[in-house]
Amino acid sequence: MPSMIVISATAVPDHLRGALTRWLLEVTPELYIGTVSARVRDELWTSVTACTANGAAVLAYPAANEQGFTLRTTGSRRRTPIDFDGLTLMAFGKKSQEMANLF
Amino acid sequence: MLPRVADSLSFLYLDIVRIHQDDTGVCAEVTSERRGTETVYLPTAALSCVLLGPGTSITARALATFARHGTTVLITGAGGVRCYAATLPDSLTTTWLEHQTRAWADDTRRLAVATAMYEKRFGPGTVPAGANFNQLRGFEGQRVKALYQLLARQYKIGRFRRAYDPDSWDTQDPVNLALSSANTCLYGIVHAAILALGCSPALGFVHNGNQQAFVYDIADLYKADLTIPLAFSLHNSPDPEAAARRSFRDGLRLFKLLPRIVTDIQTLLAPGHPTDIPDPEEQLVDLWDPTTGTVPGGTNHTPGP
Repeated sequence: MPSMIVISATAVPDHLRGALTRWLLEVTPELYIGTVSARVRDELWTSVTACTANGAAVLAYPAANEQGFTLRTTGSRRRTPIDFDGLTLMAFGKKSQEMANLF
Repeated sequence: MLPRVADSLSFLYLDIVRIHQDDTGVCAEVTSERRGTETVYLPTAALSCVLLGPGTSITARALATFARHGTTVLITGAGGVRCYAATLPDSLTTTWLEHQTRAWADDTRRLAVATAMYEKRFGPGTVPAGANFNQLRGFEGQRVKALYQLLARQYKIGRFRRAYDPDSWDTQDPVNLALSSANTCLYGIVHAAILALGCSPALGFVHNGNQQAFVYDIADLYKADLTIPLAFSLHNSPDPEAAARRSFRDGLRLFKLLPRIVTDIQTLLAPGHPTDIPDPEEQLVDLWDPTTGTVPGGTNHTPGP
């Protein structure tokens, strides 16, 4: 059964953006939304992970857990999901935090 | 109010972190050996309860933000075992506190509530008419012991003896560790639900003389369905405490625990009373009158011209 997915892909090559827009809507730069089957979602994610070496990408889709969704991340500039006994929160490095507090 | 409590995420357990409020929100600084110190923003308004374990420090501003969002903050022991203190969200209706204290202060009604609690656990009609507290405790002891024996046989554990002595914590068997850990999560969630309704966690019907007596009363309704079978299923687990919290969370979702706790408390305290709660934002403080009940506040009640 198809379900909604959200992909955010930062600093990825143009050919990947083309591949994503064939299935999903680019609602704002680098943010893709669509409703696809689990098979298509996994294939899309495989092609995203194959070319996000220096960028970052995240995929969110519905899941039968307490939060109602699952996250996958890839790339070297990413924020990391941390699992707190079953609850997923996002962690990011000290550096970006200091940048945010500069002003 | 009611849907907000029921819709929220059940609990978050944190230890060895520094929690503070920055310009954007409440965040925890998590330090791991592999990745150093990282910042994790906490979804304050979406959480119904936060368990803070040892090694946690939290700023007053962060705590105030939790309080403003009605999130219960519990100070717990290692692994969420034992609860030392909890915060109480402000600005709540006292409707359910009034139902609770009226039922609690009248000995006949107190016994009726206690009987209703036992029947909720073991099925309607299981308590003979006119049973007193002493008899109720006897029935409960037998039933729980029988459940322990049944599960011990099912998982081939041999003899099981419930122990939760914090002094000999590390030497306990996995079932006891998992059970204590899952029970504390359950206490945290029940505590959050009780506070969210505006009831007092201290006025218990079966338990007595402890600031969490009512929490223990309500939590006992769900142990046989939820935490006890879970703990026995983890008898081979290398890390029973964390595994218990993780599987407990999945169990909560299937069991729809928070909404169930809220309606169960309401039907126990006031059978037949409509269970929808007015929005506390919209309600003014009422005045009380012994003959007419509540009288609207915020108006001048001076008689005559």
